[in-house]
Amino acid sequence: MTEDQLAVFIGSGLRLAMPILLAGTGELLSQRGGVLNLSLDGMMLTAAFAAALAAWLTKSPMVGVLVGVMASLVFAFFQAILSVTLRANQLVVGIGFNILALGATTFLYREIFGPLSRDTIPGFGKVAVPGLSEIPVIGPALFNQTGLTYVAFALVVVTWALLKYTSFGLAVRAVGEDPRAADQAGINVTRTRYLGVLYAGAVAGLVGAFISVADSNTFTEGMTKGAGYLAITAVIFGGWNPWKTLAACLLFGFATALQFLVPTLKLDVPVALLLMLPYVLALFAVAGFVGTSRQPSALTLAFRRGG
Amino acid sequence: MTRQSNTMAMQPIQSPAGLQRLAPGTLLKVAVPVVATVAALLIGLLIIASTGSSVSDAMEAFWDGMAGSGYNIGASINRAISLGFVGLGFIFANRANLTNVGGEGQLAIGGMIATAVALHGAAALPFGLAFVLPLLAGAAAGALWGGLAGWLKAWRGTNEVITTLLLTFIALPVVYWSVESVRLLRKPMTEVSSLPESAEIAAQTQLPMLFPSDPTSPLHIGLLLFVAAVVVVWVLLARSAFGLKLRAVGLNDMASRRAGIQTGRLVVLAMAAAGGLGGLAGAVLIQGQNHYLTNEFSSGYGFDGLVVGLLSRGSPLGVVVGALLFGFLRSGSIAMEISAQVPAAVVLICQGLIVIAVAGSTWLIDKKAGRK
Repeated sequence: MTEDQLAVFIGSGLRLAMPILLAGTGELLSQRGGVLNLSLDGMMLTAAFAAALAAWLTKSPMVGVLVGVMASLVFAFFQAILSVTLRANQLVVGIGFNILALGATTFLYREIFGPLSRDTIPGFGKVAVPGLSEIPVIGPALFNQTGLTYVAFALVVVTWALLKYTSFGLAVRAVGEDPRAADQAGINVTRTRYLGVLYAGAVAGLVGAFISVADSNTFTEGMTKGAGYLAITAVIFGGWNPWKTLAACLLFGFATALQFLVPTLKLDVPVALLLMLPYVLALFAVAGFVGTSRQPSALTLAFRRGG
Repeated sequence: MTRQSNTMAMQPIQSPAGLQRLAPGTLLKVAVPVVATVAALLIGLLIIASTGSSVSDAMEAFWDGMAGSGYNIGASINRAISLGFVGLGFIFANRANLTNVGGEGQLAIGGMIATAVALHGAAALPFGLAFVLPLLAGAAAGALWGGLAGWLKAWRGTNEVITTLLLTFIALPVVYWSVESVRLLRKPMTEVSSLPESAEIAAQTQLPMLFPSDPTSPLHIGLLLFVAAVVVVWVLLARSAFGLKLRAVGLNDMASRRAGIQTGRLVVLAMAAAGGLGGLAGAVLIQGQNHYLTNEFSSGYGFDGLVVGLLSRGSPLGVVVGALLFGFLRSGSIAMEISAQVPAAVVLICQGLIVIAVAGSTWLIDKKAGRK
């Protein structure tokens, strides 16, 4: 492997890890509060479409990102009404919202842009970190990314600190482990869970906007390609711990990047093997063969007061 | 999940005589999916109208695609059969309070193994075994895929929703691998441009036609197989000690164990049965309709089948109705896109709305069923 190939590999691994890392970070907080958003992919897709549309109309990528995040927040709010207030089965609701998001974005895309539109939308340039980006080989790969990549890594730290050191984080963890006890201790279970879902929604919206506006400068049908499911898998594989989730996302990102590296090295490794690798690892992890992984006790369980 | 189990806990386990009386909330159980479906379809019509396309043209194309000819009706029913098998599998496992969201993966693996057996070995067999063996192999492969999730649940306590979902995302690349590699199932490449796919399975390994004298009817014996499966699942769930045990395990694992039920074995069995039905769906799809394996041939069938299972609220008859509804909707939406230029995604919107509405009204049914 040449230095150039290594640099490209590191760069693409990071670039591919970023969306799952960001989405997974938001989802981690929501799941620690007991709500699993299976509709993460739908949130991202909705945001990707809304952001692309807004950026295309206003010619401003920044407006696109804002609109994308807002669309995802509205989506998350409806999901929270069903999952938290109406105590519907979270997984079923998630599947329903994913179908709806795929249908609605595909339909609107065809109606507004036309079926084969290749209109590009204004995007963001890359931001090179002065000094660091001049390190040989890894410098350009690590420190010359779009702004959102840096935001993603910052958000992992923020989420970790939020969960560990703030009273909100304590409330989230309490609500995810034992909502009844948390309720008796005076924590507003419903409000905490709503905030968790909205946090996941806002972050997923940022990722969706990133995918369409910054990464590909266009929208295509179903463009998230299951990144939301991969993010949920990373949270599970990471054992609901921010740092392990970060490691899981990097692992998944580099596993995906291997697909592009393997042919250039003329190795005979089936692409399918690399595609399934994250899920096989996650399966081993949840089955308890890799490390210890315990899910929040009240994950996917609805709570009602006094019931 | 838990809400549903709680509802069931409040209903006394009925004696056969008691079955004549409807349990509280039964009317609502039927009404909610019906109202949700009608409302969603009306919204779909509004969306079509809002695009400025002619609603009557769209409806005509839709109707024509669903039921415009004997062939179209048959094709819609064939679609419904595969959806129905997955839906039956879902309600089977759900009786033990297990949520099998891995129908798509089980279907994909079942279809792949059925193709492999049909291409390698089964074609020469006598007495109809040529098509029976691939069916059985597909069902067995699906059962293994589902049973694995059941085994992890029973042995390691791993949440089956997570494992069946992960197993689906493992199954899809496996199928991709098998059609992509010439050493596996990919047919020898003749053209550079050909998409990765398997060779066509031999005629004797395909499912026999139901009406061989009528060449325009696409109906195959998968329909009879499905009807038989509906009856078997209904008898097992509603009329057998096995069904009662499944329900007991779903309601209270600990109490069932104290009562002498081998709960672990039952969980594995329930998931294997669900997976087996999913695998059968895949085998029927390949042997009855597609006749060769392609990447993503399972696309949508597994998740739509899951939705069918959800909408049926545990009733095999409900599965039949739901599968027919979704089978016809899918056929209609394809025709509508082709001849009336209305995106088929409208039907996806309707399906999503139906699922959300039904899931969102569980509390209403629980309330009526006697639990606030």
